[in-house]
Amino acid sequence: METMGTVTPISSVFPAEEAQKASRRVQDTIAERQQQLDQLKGFIDDNISVINLVQKLPDETHHNIMVPFGKAAFFPGRLIHTNEFMVLLGEGYYAERTAKQTVDILKRRGKALETQVESLKAIMQDLEAEASFFDATAQESADGLVEIREDYVEEASSRAETAGYGKPDPTFSLEKDARKFSVEDEEYNRIFSRIDELEKEEEEAEKGNESDEDERIQNEPDSNISEMSTHQEVRSSPVQVVDVAKAPEAPAVSKGDGSLHCDYPPLNRSTMSKALELPEEKKKVQAPPSTSNMAFTGSIVEHAHNIGMNMLEQQTGARSSKPVSRFKMQRK
Amino acid sequence: MDSAKQNKIRKFEEFVDRRLKPDLVHAIAQRDKVFEQQKIFSDLRRNIENLEKNSVTSLRTLVNLGSEVYMQADVPDTRHIFVDVGLGFHVEFTWSEALNFIAAREEKLSRQIEEYTSLIASIKAQIKMVCEGIRELLQLPVTEL
Repeated sequence: METMGTVTPISSVFPAEEAQKASRRVQDTIAERQQQLDQLKGFIDDNISVINLVQKLPDETHHNIMVPFGKAAFFPGRLIHTNEFMVLLGEGYYAERTAKQTVDILKRRGKALETQVESLKAIMQDLEAEASFFDATAQESADGLVEIREDYVEEASSRAETAGYGKPDPTFSLEKDARKFSVEDEEYNRIFSRIDELEKEEEEAEKGNESDEDERIQNEPDSNISEMSTHQEVRSSPVQVVDVAKAPEAPAVSKGDGSLHCDYPPLNRSTMSKALELPEEKKKVQAPPSTSNMAFTGSIVEHAHNIGMNMLEQQTGARSSKPVSRFKMQRK
Repeated sequence: MDSAKQNKIRKFEEFVDRRLKPDLVHAIAQRDKVFEQQKIFSDLRRNIENLEKNSVTSLRTLVNLGSEVYMQADVPDTRHIFVDVGLGFHVEFTWSEALNFIAAREEKLSRQIEEYTSLIASIKAQIKMVCEGIRELLQLPVTEL
């Protein structure tokens, strides 16, 4: 755990111009969607006017109109059978309906159009969130934000056995990693070391008291070690979480061009839309650290305070795991 | 000298991309519109000839009200037809008058199409010429496209 992570300025991973380019591309997509939306709105307006017309037509037995004959000619004529409509059902099939039935069909069509508009609006919102995310990235890159990355070491438990309690490890890593939340973290480390000490004392006392129970003594160190290792694992997981939160977006965003924003919308719709409300999103992504290994968090922003909060969560989780193991121990 | 050449090539390319190509697209779109008009009038001529041949004097048809909703319409007298003469004016014609008008109109439309076709050809020729100029400036060998 001595060589721990690298520090790279964000501007070297995603240059500001590239991020701006990505943002512009998303803006273009938004404009395209806007056109589709306008078209759909036009359809809706047409539909409404046809509904009004169909409702009005049966009021009289016939209407004098100019009957179109091709696109460039008319005959003077009149509409007859004003309560009979031929309505296209689709695929070239028509049905003869009355005015009321036709209105029903048209209203259903209108509803379908409305849902299309709704989904299109949702897509556009996602895209806008994406664009603002790119803008934010460009801004951060221009401001010279720095990305810190560390590799998650899997064999943390074995190391815990040899190196004793890895108490200094988290602090060390955290000091390197973050500037602001180390205070809270140290506090937790203190608590942990205190708990560990108490445990040792307890152990000693038990050894003294129940030295005649061989089984017990033999079992004790084992369970203790396993317990230690769980601590170690859990405690090192914040490091991993920090890593996970930052690592995946490097490949995703550094792809940079076309592929990037094609595969965004379906995958990241939920995460992207929340990219703005980062606190919530981060928590969600980080809560299951093992699965988030694969998930793309969609955020580069290093909200140190927030991560600290998460670590707080993680460690309280670790503490809560303690009673369980102790319970197990006593059951033996 | 080299930078001057580069400058010139860039100017030529800009001329092709910003001026000639949009012109070409515009001309082709215009010609397509005229083609459409031509088709409308040839359809109308065929329809009127059909009416004449079958001596139809009254007609029952379906009118599109929009959104593919149709209603029956009755034309009691088909001998008088109102034909679009442009600018939103419709003139009442008899069948023979209408056919005369349509013939004149079709002739004009085909003349317009010819004009646009030659315009498109000349724009294409200009593009080709400028490209050749660029090729000469770069001293590339002649390539047959």
